[in-house]
Amino acid sequence: MDIFVIAFWVITGVLIIVSLIKDKKKTVASMKKSKGMMGNMLGSIVAIIFLIGLVLTIIPPESIQSMLGSSSTFLSTVAAAIVGSVTLIPAFVAFPLVGSFVDVGASIVPAVAFLTTLTMVGIVTFPLEKKEFGTKFALSRNVLSFGFALIIALVMGVIL
Amino acid sequence: MILSMIKKNKLLVLVVLVYAGIFIFAPETALKSVNNSMYYLLEMIQVLPIIFLLTVLIDAWIPKEWIIDKLGDKSGFMGNVFSILLGSLSAGPIYAAFPLSKMLLKKGASITNIVIILSAWAVIKVPMLLNEMKFLSIEFMAIRWVLTVVAILIMGYLMGLFVKKKDLPEDTKEEASLSVNTDYCNGCGICIKIAPEHFEMVDGKANVKTQEIHKENRMKVKTTIEKCPVNAIGME
Repeated sequence: MDIFVIAFWVITGVLIIVSLIKDKKKTVASMKKSKGMMGNMLGSIVAIIFLIGLVLTIIPPESIQSMLGSSSTFLSTVAAAIVGSVTLIPAFVAFPLVGSFVDVGASIVPAVAFLTTLTMVGIVTFPLEKKEFGTKFALSRNVLSFGFALIIALVMGVIL
Repeated sequence: MILSMIKKNKLLVLVVLVYAGIFIFAPETALKSVNNSMYYLLEMIQVLPIIFLLTVLIDAWIPKEWIIDKLGDKSGFMGNVFSILLGSLSAGPIYAAFPLSKMLLKKGASITNIVIILSAWAVIKVPMLLNEMKFLSIEFMAIRWVLTVVAILIMGYLMGLFVKKKDLPEDTKEEASLSVNTDYCNGCGICIKIAPEHFEMVDGKANVKTQEIHKENRMKVKTTIEKCPVNAIGME
């Protein structure tokens, strides 16, 4: 657990105790409401976690390196953005991976595209997003994020 | 009963079936996948209880008017800045932001600001920025951060233009939803006597006429929930 997560635990823990002391009935009523909402999502979240595990086995992080280093920058940028959309690698694995690659002299454009779609676009989490916010919302958000990831990558390529 | 459980958890059933198939044909791949999933399972166990408590706190203590004022359609640029801050101060992956965002939507936050919160939650996280600085460079991190913030703002506005609240699923909309469990209802008609504006009799069972509950009728609807002899009326 990193320090931020611990800080969150402490802060919310204290607040919930204060809330219980101040108005137990209200707090418990809200807990029931949130429990219903979370309960509905829990099955999907567990399903998604195991789906991520499967995707990581089929596309291991190491194989992404070769994707980032293809000779054509444009093709490798699009490919990197797609791989980033499909996978969900923890940030502490993704940054060293990309960093090592940029150090060797690879173009940063695909690297940036990959880092951005990795967190913002979620093919694996799409079913959950669709269920919770509707198809139109989920589809537009993911498509826009994919597009902007490419734009951010290209602009960074020009600046750096 | 079992059927409705399967229907509710279609995705989970599908994943279990896929895993079962892989376990039969390629047990090693399946085991590896389970191992890979453990990291995320652990992350979820660490983060989800906090998200749960946060939604409880927001629901109990932050009034709807405040959310509408700070994050609603008329909150303007300050609302966007506030959304970025809210998203950046978060923990966990993007799907952890879904329950919280749903709660905020219900309380009147605008679509633009919800998109900003979700995106900021995904990309702008302090521990992640530190990591990026360490493994890439401070310039790389700073430029990507600035570009990402700009992109998130533009995206929020575009989404606000195309996606309207009516496109969202029922339970995300602002009003509470009233329901009658017809398996339990014995057709006694008490609810129709108390709140004829909201209930009617259909085939000997009570039925919800309208989800729009005016403030002056709130108490009446609450009374029907309490008075229903078989507890068939629910409101979420």
